[in-house]
Amino acid sequence: MSTRSLSKGCFVFKPSPKRRKVSRTTADYFREGNSDLEDSELRFATCQSLQKQVKSETEQIEEELNEQLFDNLVSFLRRSHSAFQEKTTEWTWRTKSREIPTAALVLGVNVTDHDFTFRSLSEVLQNNVTPYIALLEAKDCPGIKNLMQKLLGQLMNCCIDVGSSEEEDYEQVSHTRVRCSMTSLINWYESATKRTDSETPGKKRTSSRHWQSPPVVVIFKDMESFTTKVLQDFVVISSQHIGEFPLVLIFGIATSPMIIHSLLPHSVSSLLCIELFQSLSCKDHLSTIIDKVLLTTQFPLKLSEKVLQVLINIFLYHDFSVQNFIKGFQLCIVEHFHSNPLSILCCQLEEAKRRVNSLSHNQCENVRRLPSFRRYVESQVSEKQIALLTADSSLKEAVRKLLEDLNVYHENYFPILRCLHVFTSSLPKYPLGKQIRELHCACLENRVWETEEYESSLQLARMLNKSDLVTMLQKCVEILVSSPGREFDEIVERLKEFLTQFQKLEETYQERDESVSPQKELQKKTNLYNLQKTLLELKESRRSKKLTKFEMLRFEVVDYIDSLVRRYLVPADHKTLHEIVYFNTASVLREHLNAAPRIALHTALNNPYSYLKESSPVIYFAKCEPEVRFILRRSTHKIKCHSVFIDPLKIQQVVTWSISSSLLRIVSGQENVIFG
Amino acid sequence: MSLAECRSAGALEVKFVPDEDVLRHIADDAGVKVQKGKSQLIVNTKRFVKKLEAISDDEAQEILEEKNYVAVLGLCGEGTWGTGTYHRCYFGRFFLSQRLESESEYSASCSEEEEVEEAQKEVSTVLSHQKTPAKTKAVSTPPSRKTLTKKKDNMNNLVEEYFEAHSSSKVLTSDRTLQKLRRKRLNQQTLHDLLQKSPLAYAAEIKELNQQYESLFSKWMLQLHLGFNIVLYGLGSKHDLLEKFRTSMLQDSVHLVVNGYFPSITVKSVLNSITEEVLDHIGTFRSPLDQLEFIMKRFKEDSSLELYVLIHNLDSQMLRGERSQQILAQLSSLPSIYLIASIDHINAPLMWDQAKQSLYNWLWYETTTFSPYVEETSYENSLLVQQSGSLALSSLTHVLHSLTPNARGIFRLLAQYQLENKDNASYPGLSFQDFYQQCREAFLVNSDLTLRAQLTEFRDHKLIRTKRGADGVEYLLIPVDDSTLTDFLEKEDEDV
Repeated sequence: MSTRSLSKGCFVFKPSPKRRKVSRTTADYFREGNSDLEDSELRFATCQSLQKQVKSETEQIEEELNEQLFDNLVSFLRRSHSAFQEKTTEWTWRTKSREIPTAALVLGVNVTDHDFTFRSLSEVLQNNVTPYIALLEAKDCPGIKNLMQKLLGQLMNCCIDVGSSEEEDYEQVSHTRVRCSMTSLINWYESATKRTDSETPGKKRTSSRHWQSPPVVVIFKDMESFTTKVLQDFVVISSQHIGEFPLVLIFGIATSPMIIHSLLPHSVSSLLCIELFQSLSCKDHLSTIIDKVLLTTQFPLKLSEKVLQVLINIFLYHDFSVQNFIKGFQLCIVEHFHSNPLSILCCQLEEAKRRVNSLSHNQCENVRRLPSFRRYVESQVSEKQIALLTADSSLKEAVRKLLEDLNVYHENYFPILRCLHVFTSSLPKYPLGKQIRELHCACLENRVWETEEYESSLQLARMLNKSDLVTMLQKCVEILVSSPGREFDEIVERLKEFLTQFQKLEETYQERDESVSPQKELQKKTNLYNLQKTLLELKESRRSKKLTKFEMLRFEVVDYIDSLVRRYLVPADHKTLHEIVYFNTASVLREHLNAAPRIALHTALNNPYSYLKESSPVIYFAKCEPEVRFILRRSTHKIKCHSVFIDPLKIQQVVTWSISSSLLRIVSGQENVIFG
Repeated sequence: MSLAECRSAGALEVKFVPDEDVLRHIADDAGVKVQKGKSQLIVNTKRFVKKLEAISDDEAQEILEEKNYVAVLGLCGEGTWGTGTYHRCYFGRFFLSQRLESESEYSASCSEEEEVEEAQKEVSTVLSHQKTPAKTKAVSTPPSRKTLTKKKDNMNNLVEEYFEAHSSSKVLTSDRTLQKLRRKRLNQQTLHDLLQKSPLAYAAEIKELNQQYESLFSKWMLQLHLGFNIVLYGLGSKHDLLEKFRTSMLQDSVHLVVNGYFPSITVKSVLNSITEEVLDHIGTFRSPLDQLEFIMKRFKEDSSLELYVLIHNLDSQMLRGERSQQILAQLSSLPSIYLIASIDHINAPLMWDQAKQSLYNWLWYETTTFSPYVEETSYENSLLVQQSGSLALSSLTHVLHSLTPNARGIFRLLAQYQLENKDNASYPGLSFQDFYQQCREAFLVNSDLTLRAQLTEFRDHKLIRTKRGADGVEYLLIPVDDSTLTDFLEKEDEDV
């Protein structure tokens, strides 16, 4: 069937029922897309489990973050609700007061994540407080009539959820006909509450979950976008009826709480009894996510500096959406497992070790092809080199050891990073960044102790005062004690020692204070010669800047921290086998998440050759460097087709090795090199 | 310097005038009012001269190789809108005349007409299609010889003068439109055939490029299944690519193809085809939102339901609206609906705000295919194609052939009357009474009832339109443009 027609734009295709049975699963697509079929199923399973783990973890974090806010809101509802119940008894008071309890929820500028927040809020309320919740959006409510319609529609639908199935049909028919007015709303409310009251004991569970005569919560998702007229009318109308049913408003505010007063005139806003609630800013939210998801050893997959930078940039410069950040991370997981055949080893250490045993020969070759592994082999003695390059068993053993090393490295890396962050985040001007993510990026990028920023931050750290230093050290001790790293006992000991030394220093300081200062001595002496002498001495001492004990100790502490940094914060790409756990193709991520269609069109039109040119690289003959020749000669009989060897030319792999023509075609960084 | 000279010059130094030039002429130097209707072709490639020699008349052009199609257009343009080339002729004429002096002798007594004839002999093979009486008549007085020699003396001066004159001249809007092309516009079939025959440049590379994209298919499927939706962007039609994706990957699953470029596509039709054909639901909905809710509910209830949606041109005129995009975004956010779409407009991403983008959950893929937008533009009218007219004409003849000769006569009367009044801008139409009178005189009807019956027939086929004038009189109009009507009458004459 063709999709070309002059009279139709939509075409539905249904496979015949016979063929429908052979539908393929996601795993099949995962396998198909791969050039190597190596262990793709296992890889896919690992990928899926990791994704699930990340998802549940991030959801939990979000829940925790919102918990406080929601608790506050619920208690606010309870308070206002108890006021309503009192009101029903006091007739006179009820007629006087027409204030609607209102919660102003300041959320900050970000639309997408707020949907999730509101959804979980209404879920929480639905579970604990009231079944009567209406979520209103400005674009659905251009006029008061639409607003009422939407409101009634939503309220009556949620009533159905509580009610039994027989009532459902009745309700659905009726609510289309109901005149959308406040009176009908009140009538509905009365009948609804009556019905829940007279429910059978079997349904007590549902009603007991909610409060007696539950309040009607109306949430305005984006208060700023509502037209003032609609809002005013709604507030005024509902304030007339506030005595008859408990209504609570929740305004979602993006800018500042002042907006309520600028949107509503005093006569209207005086009808509201507003309480302010502040949600966590999206930046804090992101920091928590990064802290709990990326800066832990919990998840085997790590992001390289560039990838993380891309994700953070998208967040900071495009959308402020934590959801999108997580989505990006999920994409990283998929891409990593999809593109890297060795990602099979990207799992928890024990599992990975087990998997190493069952690596196929091809996979071993893949390991040998890793640049970091080649560097590692290069550093070994020649016998070992040959063993690693030829024998799979010795390779597997080495890989096991290296994976363990990598794991230990990560276990040490994150606590030390946090410790360093404790120091750098309190320095003036934050030379290494205020957020731990910036520090993390700096550490991943290259040796952090070689950077200027690090130098200057150390200098600043050498000028810290004692109380700061002590609190920092205490924090570091806390971090290190709570972390699972094995090597930290010693470090903790050392830090504690420093702390006691500071303590001692304080004591000796007090003693020193009692001793006579040189100035005081100066006053005592009247002898001119002596005076001259002492003054000279003073000058000398000032010039040489004799260090006090505190200063000495401070230097010691800073030096110690420096040594820790040098020892543990080695950039990840200096580690062997880092390719297995680090996702580092930032370009893929940028292409798919942050695409630039305009630029693509531009280049396609201006420089079509960039798309059309032959993709095969230039092949030319090059002279052998002596080192290469040396390795070649030494291992000629060992090198097989598609083997790998290490060299100073950054040659990555031998593609073809033909003895007859004694030609060696080698793929280096960009171009092919052929050796004669 | 006479025009004849120009022409002979043209024969010596024939230059191909490309299309852009023609366009430029349409756009600029309309302010220079010079000899109208006459120009010369300056074609400098010998190959071209040869080719042109083969052309004997207008019809010959139609059999020109498609390669030269554009060139032909250029020629036609030159032939009719000669004034545009004035400034080039000016120079061309100028230094050509220097060369020509030795070969051609001109006497002062020599009449213009003679010169023209003489020159035409020389160039007749090349420019025969221009040799219509109308053209020759249009030759206006060329600049006198005296002024010419003067100019010859100080050519540099002239150049300066020329630019001075042009820089100061106001740019006026040209009235040389495609309508004025003497050459008839091609019909769609001819144009299509011509384009079809032209070989595709870089075919091998483009093929390779497409193969690269095709290798991504299974990855797309994987990502679709993992909750992402895929949007393709980049230059070139992505219709074929998506079609290939559909045939290779989606044969075993339920899928919906939406041609966004289809001129009357609506979100409602998309939703309808989901509810009616995918979900087999019979019944109507009050609004698209209701329908959407129903679909979402069904898909959430039944987890075995899966639907792949392919949308060609998500950014088309009909779908780019805020409401349509919102609905599509919500649809695509369902976990068991997999959306893969293509966009082409340069500003297409502006359709989506943050909320919609997060609903869509796009993964962007650049697929620059460089393939022509044949399918996508097939519903659009080309400037060079007389599309709508031919359609209307065929329907006119078709309807009228099924009517009685009397009815045809009635229609003819009305059409003739309308054509007679075509220059009258405020022509209201033929009043019913007058029409009745005329019809009676032509023995076409015998009572005004029979006429009314005939008119109802026409009205049902939308061949005529009636409107009431200010005085309450009924006026009759044929809602077809004049050229079509003329064609129609000519055709009728042939038939009779």
